[in-house]
Amino acid sequence: MFNQGFLGTAAPFIADLILLLEIAMGVGLLAGAWLAHKKRFRQHAWCQSGVVLLNLAVITLVMLPSFHARALPKIPVRLGKAYYALATAHGIFGIIAEIAALYILMSAGTHLLPEKARIIRYKSWMRGTLALWWVALLLGITTYARWYAPHFF
Amino acid sequence: MHRNWCVAGLAALLAVGTGLLAAGQKGFAASAQQKPATAEVKIDNFSFSPNELTIPAGTTVTWTNRDDIPHTVVSSDDPKAFKSKVMDTDEKFSFTFSKPGTYPYFCSVHPKMVGKVVVQ
Repeated sequence: MFNQGFLGTAAPFIADLILLLEIAMGVGLLAGAWLAHKKRFRQHAWCQSGVVLLNLAVITLVMLPSFHARALPKIPVRLGKAYYALATAHGIFGIIAEIAALYILMSAGTHLLPEKARIIRYKSWMRGTLALWWVALLLGITTYARWYAPHFF
Repeated sequence: MHRNWCVAGLAALLAVGTGLLAAGQKGFAASAQQKPATAEVKIDNFSFSPNELTIPAGTTVTWTNRDDIPHTVVSSDDPKAFKSKVMDTDEKFSFTFSKPGTYPYFCSVHPKMVGKVVVQ
């Protein structure tokens, strides 16, 4: 957990690993959207579901504990500082995107939700969630840069 | 007779002087005991300064974050001898080293930042 990273910044190993993993997941979602565009819906479903579930694991096991230990004790008092504001914005957008993605996943891929609660306009939901996901990802990259590569600022 | 008085006077002066000196030394020692030893480590530009600190046992070391980035001070030993919370700019963390030994430490947010306290 506290080993040095490999990207040449001041980040620990786990932060470097998660950064690359999240970028790969963001690209994976775009690839999944392309699969839907090509009418390859089964591969699309597998790709998006895999990314959403993997991200849920990353959020639960790494991001939430890290946010809880480093940023949460300083909120809301230090929200004026860029490193806490960015981490908080990334957290909020990320959680909303993940919940929306799980909702789409449950609605489209399972029968867990009652009929009334299911999505009708899938395309709008999926595109909106993908946009939100990428906003969260870009905020995450900025948060990484602020915390571990301050020479960028 | 006059000589005896002189000797007695000199002896009295010597006694009073010695007494005052002893009292002064005691007072100095007492004040030295009352004021515990302290040392400072500055956190700036992603490094601990001084990087290695040698202190006598009983010294309290205070780390001050002068960086524009949050940092921590965490003992590398297992179990951890000390561990700070996340320190913002100008926040401080203190720890008193009572036992001799070498205490390596690092910043858990930025593990490349390492330092060492040598307690004699």
